[in-house]
Amino acid sequence: MNELIPLMVIVPLMAALLISAFSRFNTATKVFAFVVAICLPIIPIASNYGLHYFGGYAPMLDNVTSVMYHPAITYSFTFLQQIFIAMIGLLTFLVVFVYLTKYRKVSGPYLFLLFLGTAAVTAMLLTDDIFHMFVFFEILALAQVGIVAASSIDYSYEMALKYMVLGSIGSPIMLLGIGFLLALTGSVNVTDIAAAVHNGLVDATSPVFLMSLGLIFFGWLYASGLPPFHTIKSGIYSKAEPHGAALLQSFTVISMISIVLIMFRIYATLPIFEVLIVFFSILAMILGVSLALTQTDFRRMIGFLAVGELGFIGLGIGLGTNFSITAGLFQALNEIIITALLFIGFGAIVEATNEVDTRKLGGLLAYHPKVSIMLLIAGLAMAGVPPLSGFQSKLMLVQASLSCGFPEISILAIMVSIATFVVFVKTFYTMFLKPKPNDLDLEGKEVPRAMIFTMAILLIIVVLFGVYPDLVTSGISNFVGGIL
Amino acid sequence: MKLYDQIFNVVKQFRKLFSPGPVTNADVSGSITAEIFLIVSLVLAVILLRHVSVLLAGLATLVVAIVLITNIPLIPKFKIEQEDSLEKMLFYAVVTLSIIIAFLYWGGNLV
Repeated sequence: MNELIPLMVIVPLMAALLISAFSRFNTATKVFAFVVAICLPIIPIASNYGLHYFGGYAPMLDNVTSVMYHPAITYSFTFLQQIFIAMIGLLTFLVVFVYLTKYRKVSGPYLFLLFLGTAAVTAMLLTDDIFHMFVFFEILALAQVGIVAASSIDYSYEMALKYMVLGSIGSPIMLLGIGFLLALTGSVNVTDIAAAVHNGLVDATSPVFLMSLGLIFFGWLYASGLPPFHTIKSGIYSKAEPHGAALLQSFTVISMISIVLIMFRIYATLPIFEVLIVFFSILAMILGVSLALTQTDFRRMIGFLAVGELGFIGLGIGLGTNFSITAGLFQALNEIIITALLFIGFGAIVEATNEVDTRKLGGLLAYHPKVSIMLLIAGLAMAGVPPLSGFQSKLMLVQASLSCGFPEISILAIMVSIATFVVFVKTFYTMFLKPKPNDLDLEGKEVPRAMIFTMAILLIIVVLFGVYPDLVTSGISNFVGGIL
Repeated sequence: MKLYDQIFNVVKQFRKLFSPGPVTNADVSGSITAEIFLIVSLVLAVILLRHVSVLLAGLATLVVAIVLITNIPLIPKFKIEQEDSLEKMLFYAVVTLSIIIAFLYWGGNLV
């Protein structure tokens, strides 16, 4: 059923448009959004692996040069896309569920933004066309700005505007890099470009080719929130609604891996490409965790930790071996789930206390034990404590860097994990174990049940991937073997 | 006692990081951890230069370690440079782009 492949993008895209157009019918909008959200994780699971050529333009063989050309926009659907799209679908469903249960009157434009973002990241994962990827990258950036601006948190508009201003630098520069690639190869299809580079039709050391790498790489830094964009990325997470932030960080992770995998296929012949990725990943890990340690706003703290965790993903991909890239992609999957769990869990605390400053909180364990325990486990998973999913991916990354001959990176990765653990111990003590301040009123304030349900679902996945990592790692490894 | 006084001054300067509001033990502990983490991790990262040249790595590690330790506390300085100011974000974005392009254009085919 390869017809289902384009539906993974079309369904959320059409749903976004319909919900926006008919949002005045509140009940119908709620039911429709709920039904579409349920379908999102089911479609990739029900679909077969394969390719989809838009317009039906199948690849053509040039009989003179024996080179295959891809005239159509091509969607490629393998195990990697399946697992990530299913996870994004599940997360979108949970986020929409939390949102629908929170408000009596829902906002059509807000749901439009949630579904639009999901459609955009799905297309970025599926596409084999670099310009198509860029178009959805732009749509995603707008959806992210909208999700932040739509939140009711103070200064969210300002943060969204700053993100847009920085995007106005990052996006055109990436487009310029894509333009250079088009000028060199005459194609925007990634398979065609990669074939041209690997067959020697493009001089990999030419200044134009190197410049295209620099420009696309800079756009990737913006998309993934690696330094110098780590401040704005953590800022937008902290200014979005908790469920919105959970989805925003997953959008960031997906756009990060989809762009870097495309870059990897084109530029892997240049050793400097991997050096650049490792450099910025290490910088993100160091800056993200050290800044998280000094935060008193726990939403900002999670934001910086999320940025630091992105460094682990980049590290795996930058090391460039089958095992390390598998570890990096597994880490990406884990980060999507764990960070979403943390954002929703800490969001539940905001719901119950109306407070984000850890210094003004305390004694929450007695009032919200379920949320406390689930947050503690999520924190331990992010820090890499066995037998949770974060442990498996981080252990793989440490093993990968050791086997590549970089013991310094292994030590650094372990140090970052320990620092992450310190962040959680400190925050957990301050918020949950320390005596309750006298002026903190917690009586009669409940955490929404939908949030607890969402956290429980995500926690099950964290434990499942921790105990049975082979469920995903073997499939990811096969995919990586195909692109290397 | 000079070293103790120097470290105590560092701890006192952390107060500025958390103003307005009270400074708790947990906050100061977190900041000290961040300070030590930052120094150790940057020094460790510089050791990676040994893959280019062992002599360069040795020299760079010494220089970085001395510069970082003599400039403590680093975290307040790092935090000021990474606040939510659009001017600083734009400055660092443009500097990064310039460095990447210069690095690739003149040294891209060397590595």
